[in-house]
Amino acid sequence: MSAEAGVIHDIGYRRYTGRRLGRAQIVRALYGHSLRSAFGLGRGAKAKIVPVIAFVVMCLPAIANAVAVANGQARIVPYDTYTFQLRVVVMIIFIAAQAPELVSRDLRSHVLPLYFCRPMRRLDYPVAKLAAFITACLLIIEIPLLLLYVGTIAQLHGGSAIWSQTRALIPGLLVGLMWAVLLAAIGLALASLSGRRAYATGAIAIYFFLTWILAGILIAVTQRNVVRAVVVRPPKGAPPPPGAPPGGPPGTFVGHEITQVPTTAAHLSGLVSPFTTLDGVRQWLGGTSVGPLPGVGGYGALYGAMFLVLLAVCLGGLAARYRKAGGL
Amino acid sequence: MSGQPSSLAAAPPREPERQGAAVIETTALTKRYPGPVTALDELTVTVAPGITGLVGANGAGKSTLIKILLGLLQPTGGRAMVLGADCVRDGERIRALTGYMPEHDCLPPDVTATEFVTHLGRMSGLPATAAKERAAESLRHVGLYEERYRQIGTYSTGMKQRVKLAQALVGDPRLLLLDEPTVGLDPAGRNSMLELIARVGAEFGMSIVVASHLLGEIERICDHLVAIEAGRLLRADTITSMTRASQVLLIEVDEGADRLLAELTRRGLQPRPFERAVLVGLDGDETYDAVRDAVADLGLPLNRLEQRRRRVEELFRDETPEASGVG
Repeated sequence: MSAEAGVIHDIGYRRYTGRRLGRAQIVRALYGHSLRSAFGLGRGAKAKIVPVIAFVVMCLPAIANAVAVANGQARIVPYDTYTFQLRVVVMIIFIAAQAPELVSRDLRSHVLPLYFCRPMRRLDYPVAKLAAFITACLLIIEIPLLLLYVGTIAQLHGGSAIWSQTRALIPGLLVGLMWAVLLAAIGLALASLSGRRAYATGAIAIYFFLTWILAGILIAVTQRNVVRAVVVRPPKGAPPPPGAPPGGPPGTFVGHEITQVPTTAAHLSGLVSPFTTLDGVRQWLGGTSVGPLPGVGGYGALYGAMFLVLLAVCLGGLAARYRKAGGL
Repeated sequence: MSGQPSSLAAAPPREPERQGAAVIETTALTKRYPGPVTALDELTVTVAPGITGLVGANGAGKSTLIKILLGLLQPTGGRAMVLGADCVRDGERIRALTGYMPEHDCLPPDVTATEFVTHLGRMSGLPATAAKERAAESLRHVGLYEERYRQIGTYSTGMKQRVKLAQALVGDPRLLLLDEPTVGLDPAGRNSMLELIARVGAEFGMSIVVASHLLGEIERICDHLVAIEAGRLLRADTITSMTRASQVLLIEVDEGADRLLAELTRRGLQPRPFERAVLVGLDGDETYDAVRDAVADLGLPLNRLEQRRRRVEELFRDETPEASGVG
């Protein structure tokens, strides 16, 4: 060791006399730290790949809309459903990749005792993590909606046109909030079950994808196909075609029309997946855009209840997990 | 470790402010787990400022005691105070003033020591800039200044233990609770960790409780010792009063230790076998004469004749022969 380094080592201990933050500010610091890590900030380039791709892909429909609107078309993407399939896929990938980043790493390396021995309470940790992850999901969902809005009103003139866009946007933002809260809670609850990142990611992806596909299949098979004959009637007063029996069918059969009529089972099938549950709540609350769920029939309140039950189970699971996890 | 010289026992004098009120005080502290398992059984102990060794075998109740002191576990009965605050009611306040170093591995491998300690500094309640400064300073104090931008996963076990100590120091606590700080270290690593703890206690003005199952090790750096067994207090005293008891003479012969033992007994002494040597209480020059004569009469190859302080370990062994786990 050089003499210089020796000198550095000989500086004595200095007590910290500055400001000390309280519990609320500590939790806020943990929130900020977790929000950054949800986007891979403060970590290597590899950690940023999934969040950046998810965000960019989610913005693509809004950008396409801006181009279309600039070319004179009306808005092509609804605010309340956005592009449903794309949103489902992007959110599954984002949550499966990033929820373990927030909670599984700390479980894996047994860091939790170091949090719990500090001036915070047990549930402060999952609360900060959940708040951060909801915020992260909110950013992924809502920023594209705002881009959609800006891209649309940029070509509009007149206050009333802009106001009608704004009125359509607000329910869209609220639907996005529901998505962020429920999906973030499910993602973190599943991720907190395992310290192994790969397992956590797998569990989240499998749960979301399987239930989403299952709901799709159930909705498809429980719709009743109604087949109608399509007959072209001759105009009134025209003479009957030659050879037609007197009093016979006054028209020509041209083919079949098949329409899908949702049954009760189809109305209920959406309860299987969080995504169709969210769509059910949207339709129950008055959303009119076409979603994956063919109407909720009279079961809208059931979707509302399902939303709350899912949320309660996840929050309860998280609380129970951290009440006993890493107990020093 | 019992063969190590006690070079660390002579710690520099303490600061006067540290001779104040008790740092930790428990009264009939009891913790029962369903089972029923009694982890702490009416433990009443007072820990004065300075470095205190908390010794006991694995499962003696050390970890349970630490959890209660940090306010993370509700005692079944009794009362515990840390730095004048009640552990049940003022857990947060206690945790703000206390640094804790867990026994087990608790470090993420893919983060640099600076980032990690800075983050935990913030979690201790330091503002962002202060956390950065204190993290750098803590890592400097534990001797990791040069390596602080390396990922923790690349560190040796000894360096990882130092990071664990640094994160306990970062919030500038008044009390440090160190749980088995030398676990997993080789003898050289254990020595430097103990030296570091002694230095923190002496120069940083912090009270330290070192929990360990290796009595011979921590007695070298402690002012006080608290021994617990099966959740009960075995003994609590200062190191000096425990070791003052008497001087002993250690006689090491290459062979024939058992014959020497018999011969010394015949000469009216009360020798005890200790490892491969023989210990005998020292009562002045007559003892030396008796030993010299005994060795000469038996014609044994004398290897070492050493006057030494009794080690605490031996004291415990004297009084509680069943406490084989201690030491």
